[in-house]
Amino acid sequence: MTAISSNAGTSAPSAVKARRRPLIRPSRVVIFVFLLMAAAFFAVPLYVVIVTSFKTMDQIRLGQIFSLPSPWTTEAWSYAWTQACSGMNCNGVRVGFVNSLYILAPSLVLTISLSIVTGYGLALWNVKWANGFLFVLFICAFVPFQIIMYPLIKIAGGLHIYGTTFGIAVIHSVLSLPFLTLIFRNYFRGLPPQIIAAAMIDSGSFWRIFFEIVLPMSGNIMVVVLILMITGIWNDFLVGLTFGAQDTQPMTVVLNNITVTTTGAKNYAVDMASALLTALPPLVIYFVLGKFFVQGITAGAIKG
Amino acid sequence: MGIRWSRVTPHLAVAPAALMTLVFFIGAIAWTVYLSFTASRRFPDYELVGWKQYWRLFHDASWLLSLQNLVIFAIGSLFSIILGFILAAMIDKEVHGEGIFRTIFLYPLAISLIVTGLVWRWLFNPGLGVENVLHSLGWQSASFNWLASQDTVMFGVILAAVWQSTGFFMALMLSGLKSINTEIWQAARLDGVPFWRLYIEVIIPMMKLTFFTCIILLCIGVVKAYDIIVAMTNAGPGGASIMPAYFVIDAYWQKQNLGYASAGATIMLLTTLVLFLPLVLVTVWRQKRSAT
Repeated sequence: MTAISSNAGTSAPSAVKARRRPLIRPSRVVIFVFLLMAAAFFAVPLYVVIVTSFKTMDQIRLGQIFSLPSPWTTEAWSYAWTQACSGMNCNGVRVGFVNSLYILAPSLVLTISLSIVTGYGLALWNVKWANGFLFVLFICAFVPFQIIMYPLIKIAGGLHIYGTTFGIAVIHSVLSLPFLTLIFRNYFRGLPPQIIAAAMIDSGSFWRIFFEIVLPMSGNIMVVVLILMITGIWNDFLVGLTFGAQDTQPMTVVLNNITVTTTGAKNYAVDMASALLTALPPLVIYFVLGKFFVQGITAGAIKG
Repeated sequence: MGIRWSRVTPHLAVAPAALMTLVFFIGAIAWTVYLSFTASRRFPDYELVGWKQYWRLFHDASWLLSLQNLVIFAIGSLFSIILGFILAAMIDKEVHGEGIFRTIFLYPLAISLIVTGLVWRWLFNPGLGVENVLHSLGWQSASFNWLASQDTVMFGVILAAVWQSTGFFMALMLSGLKSINTEIWQAARLDGVPFWRLYIEVIIPMMKLTFFTCIILLCIGVVKAYDIIVAMTNAGPGGASIMPAYFVIDAYWQKQNLGYASAGATIMLLTTLVLFLPLVLVTVWRQKRSAT
């Protein structure tokens, strides 16, 4: 308990820190209780889903969603992975998992390579209309997808990529281009100007400075952008729904189909296991790279 | 050789993205706006019909309901900003277990809205979900089957949305709180000002820009809201939880009425732009302030 008094108020200067405070004050108890209640509100749904996914249908019918499974069974998990029915296809969520990977990989390569070069050009070089272009990108980053949906369908159809995983990847690249360009541009603007100036005098070559100076200095922002993109694309539903065909849909669409498919008796444990399988990749990223994750979402929100 | 490559290369490098923006965004928006003035059904129809689609929209009970739901959803979601601020302020003060609390509050953000919708649909499940637990605790009249009734369905969706997005606003508020001038904060603290007065009189006024940004971001997000409606209610029961984004996509895929869908989409665009302008002004103002 001594940790509380010695750490109280991290933002306070040492003078305040040294001031003696009672260990347990009413306001502190109120805050702690409120935080505990809030934590329950956020944690309980995940708990319920996890325990439900390990139950048998007989246990679920008892209606005690908070109780632990007895016995624990992983049947729903293996069924969800290999046999759950999405519409007429009964191959489980693994089909969607593989599709999501096929969508993710090309989309990351396309969009990051394009936006990093554009962001670099706009940030450090004299480009005509750069401010106007930035303003347009700023607007485009906020345009709802529904507004450009039909033209994009037509364009994808014209390029013969409509309904393919690659087509979905291209659409994702297009949609995230404005955001990522702005993020990269802001980051490159903040690089130490002396280094850039020295490099310009040294070689003056656009691509040499990019590959030898700027790219090696982009490690941090790259991790942030990767997290932003991976979670964003993995969690997408509408683009996958609109541009996917029966056998190219991403995992979220397959999941939604599984939960609304009503052939046979409904097994809620399978729904829950499918949901957890779908949520697992971004959750793993969140728990492993939490700090970068928060940076990614806040960078996308404010600076975008 | 008249070409100066150091001048040309940057332009060539930026050109692909500029071209893509021009075609996929500007061109696409222009096409949709144009289509909204035609009687296009399944395929584009190039005969202009003027404001007919818009006139129809504003006599369509379902569209008007979707606008009403948009407002209800936006107002209800404001709770996630308020809760986000309270949690951020408390976490900022509470040192013990800060990291654990932050992790718990933020994790819903990592999850797809489709999963969020499914999870909450399960909690709302009559007979098997939370309702049954309330009944077994002796509260027989309790009803948690909100998604089944036209009167409560939007509250159910809002509850799930608040659960999902509070962490996001908490993160923005935390960075806002950290950027506050700590001298004022500490001076007031040493004077023995109670903490709630400190918040009402000093902190919240100093954070008004953060609040403002949060509200605009929330509104822009609400205009786009689609996934959560599909995952939780599919606009039901009886079309009671329809939202503009859902209406537009439904008009295109189910009703196969391209012109009508485009008119709805154009109104969505205008709404976003109106919301977006203050955000630009704030961003520009912020940059100017930090530059001086």
